[in-house]
Amino acid sequence: MLREAEEAAILSQQIVNGLMLGSIYAMVAVALTLSIGVLKFLNFSIPGLFMIGGMTTWALIRAGTPWPLAVGGALMIGAAASLVVERFTWRWMRMAEHFVPLVSSMAFLLLFEHLAVVHWGSELRTLPALFGNADWRVAGLIISLPQLVGLISSIALIWALTLLLARSRVGRGLRTIAEDSDTALLLGVDINRIVPVVFLVSGLFAALAGVVFALNYRQVHPFMGEVVGLKGISAMIVGGMGNIWGSIVGGLIIGLVEVMSIGYFGADVVDIAVYGLLLFILFVRPTGLFTGSLVGQARV
Amino acid sequence: MTAAAAILCFEAVSKHFGGLRVIEDLTFAVRPGTRTALIGPNGAGQTTVFNLITGVYPVDTGRIRLDGADITDSPSRRRIGHGVARSFQNIRLMPHLSTLENVMVGQHCRNKGIGGVLQPVNLIPRNRWRTEARAALAEAGLGDYERATVGSLPYGVQKRIELVRALMARPRLLLLDEPAAGLNPAETEALQMQLERICAGGDLTLLVVEHDMHFIGALCEEVIVLDFGRKIAEGTPGEIRRNTLVQETYLGAPAAAPMEPHGAARSA
Amino acid sequence: MSGYLEGILVLLAVNVVFAYGGFLPLAAGQLNLGLAGFAAIGAYASAYLSNVFKLSPLIAIPSAGIIAGLVALAVAVPVLRTRGIYLALATFALGQIVQAIILNLEIVGGAAGYPVAAFIRFPTIAAVAVIVVLLVWLLFGTRFGIAVTAVHDDERVADLMGIDVRAFQIAAFALGSAIAGVGGGLYAHHFSFIEAQYFNISLSITIVLYVLLGGTQTVLGPLLGAAVFTLLPEVLRASANWRYVVFAAALIVIMALRPEGLVTGAQLRRLFGWHRGGPGEAGVDAAKERA
Repeated sequence: MLREAEEAAILSQQIVNGLMLGSIYAMVAVALTLSIGVLKFLNFSIPGLFMIGGMTTWALIRAGTPWPLAVGGALMIGAAASLVVERFTWRWMRMAEHFVPLVSSMAFLLLFEHLAVVHWGSELRTLPALFGNADWRVAGLIISLPQLVGLISSIALIWALTLLLARSRVGRGLRTIAEDSDTALLLGVDINRIVPVVFLVSGLFAALAGVVFALNYRQVHPFMGEVVGLKGISAMIVGGMGNIWGSIVGGLIIGLVEVMSIGYFGADVVDIAVYGLLLFILFVRPTGLFTGSLVGQARV
Repeated sequence: MTAAAAILCFEAVSKHFGGLRVIEDLTFAVRPGTRTALIGPNGAGQTTVFNLITGVYPVDTGRIRLDGADITDSPSRRRIGHGVARSFQNIRLMPHLSTLENVMVGQHCRNKGIGGVLQPVNLIPRNRWRTEARAALAEAGLGDYERATVGSLPYGVQKRIELVRALMARPRLLLLDEPAAGLNPAETEALQMQLERICAGGDLTLLVVEHDMHFIGALCEEVIVLDFGRKIAEGTPGEIRRNTLVQETYLGAPAAAPMEPHGAARSA
Repeated sequence: MSGYLEGILVLLAVNVVFAYGGFLPLAAGQLNLGLAGFAAIGAYASAYLSNVFKLSPLIAIPSAGIIAGLVALAVAVPVLRTRGIYLALATFALGQIVQAIILNLEIVGGAAGYPVAAFIRFPTIAAVAVIVVLLVWLLFGTRFGIAVTAVHDDERVADLMGIDVRAFQIAAFALGSAIAGVGGGLYAHHFSFIEAQYFNISLSITIVLYVLLGGTQTVLGPLLGAAVFTLLPEVLRASANWRYVVFAAALIVIMALRPEGLVTGAQLRRLFGWHRGGPGEAGVDAAKERA
């Protein structure tokens, strides 16, 4: 009896941890999916923006900035970096090969990572424990303050995004472009004004994911974007490219799969499980779990 | 004409896209060695017919026979091997291949198997495939363009290169999709003469989709008229010109556009 | 030859081999982001064959390349049913899985890495690189080169012309992976120690980037791309990490200004036109004037 209760408690805690990790993957996935859905462009620089969010947070805190300001600063720098990417992948691009913007974004990933190494070195860096033992205990589950902050901010940002897409003029423009860019042009949607918005928003999501990761797991390094970014890409595919709700669900699934497989099979098998799931989906149902346009009517 | 005698046979073919019936119970036959036109108002389904013949779309009902063989279920890449080649309405040459290499693509279906793939066509200058392609270009008056990047060439030249490419497959049936579109009168006349020259032997059958009635009248012996995916008339250009149903279909099109019977002297 | 110079030249040779591994699928219009995974298969297979079965590297390395090619073949059929972005992502997932599996294979050292006993020097490596370049050049001089470029340019029309598009894509993918495997083997037997962490997505991306830098339209492009990537930072005396910064920045600018890369087909034809007979581009201008 007690054993069952123990196992149930462990399972629940794992689910909580999985959802926390999953929300980080979800935000990266949303950043990617916005780009693909609206611009048909797989933005490989997003893992780099994730890293910028995380490492800038660490750097600012190390320099003595109070954490809310550090977070704000990291978000602003991440957004700025995203706009630089926009200028050099989207604006100047001549589409000789269909994957030119993809390639430029990969170059930006390399650029960001190695600039970070040049500036900060390639070692793993640790953040100090900022919140002491301020845990939130509910129904036998432990949710730490950073986890809570992360959860609330992801939910808030995603909610803001869906509002933006559903209610505002910019949002309508985004959705129209996502459906059909030719029609969008005919309807007078100014693509040149909308595109930076996409980059800005996806940059914010990526940077915030990095910030939350840094505050929660307290470890950053210049290549941190790679693994998380790739899991974010997996989440996006699993959920359905170009579908925001799909990305969220995909991210949560991946997070859960990861935590569960560590729990039951050990840390070694984690990556195989996650990427195996990704390959399986790509072979069997490449469009992902959800189809449909940007603001997911989560049609399956 | 029996099905066996025809080079191309459509038997009650239908094709729809979603709710739209593009081709409706279409039956026609093309006699071998002829130059046949497929005409109709825009959207009547001519290009769809070409796409059905080449296998880009599968038919919904009906059969297609090419030179007696039922090709209805044959995959698209095998159809050129059955003897049908086509040119395209919007020129579709390979931008990263030179003119000569583009033409050599047409020979691919005659190079079977791994041995065919490994033919050292670009390594050995006197290679027979290369020589054949160069000769074909020279004969079409395009020899100077051999090494050129196709995208930089004039429109009319590109069209002629595409034609040479299609001929490299040694087809029995050649589908031409608006071959005269975008050509000036001099180029159109040159095209007509080139087509008559290549058909002279009687081995090649032409099926031409065109809107230029002058061109059709001068070149073609047979005309098949489509409207809304159905055949509404067929006959010689003269008969078609006199056909009242066709005239109604084309109401508004210049009825004065004379379609001289084939062979009428292009005097002076 | 000084040790430093030899080191640079070895790196150049290995990068050249990797470049042709990336070139094959790109020439057919596919992006293989799992290249590093196939390089890893080659590296570990070759190391294992020579460590355990005492095979000479001259046998182990080509064998490892074949093994990598066979794995690619097995995976290619389902993977190449996907298209475009999906294909790039499937290949990246593949590369990650390979890396993860190797990390867990204790028999080859797992996360601690795997020492390689047999050692090869620069002349051997250079010879292998030269052979690879030669073989690819010969292959692209056959109808294979024309067909693959046709597939790259216009799949629909290539198919209608009788070209088996899937078959060529699979062939290019498998051959490229095999070549990447050979590159991995060369790397393993010279640096005498390999670890899974080296064969990561960054490596795949870097290879793809310098292939695209050189240009995928001609067989010379990858050679140039690998050369620029390896040698330019030496010329600029850049440290290891500034090398990547410089490279990435250069690539961004080049993609914006000249996405075809440094060497294009048209250029090459202009350059060598007079070697092969025929008036070449000069003839075009003359013809235009006549018309």
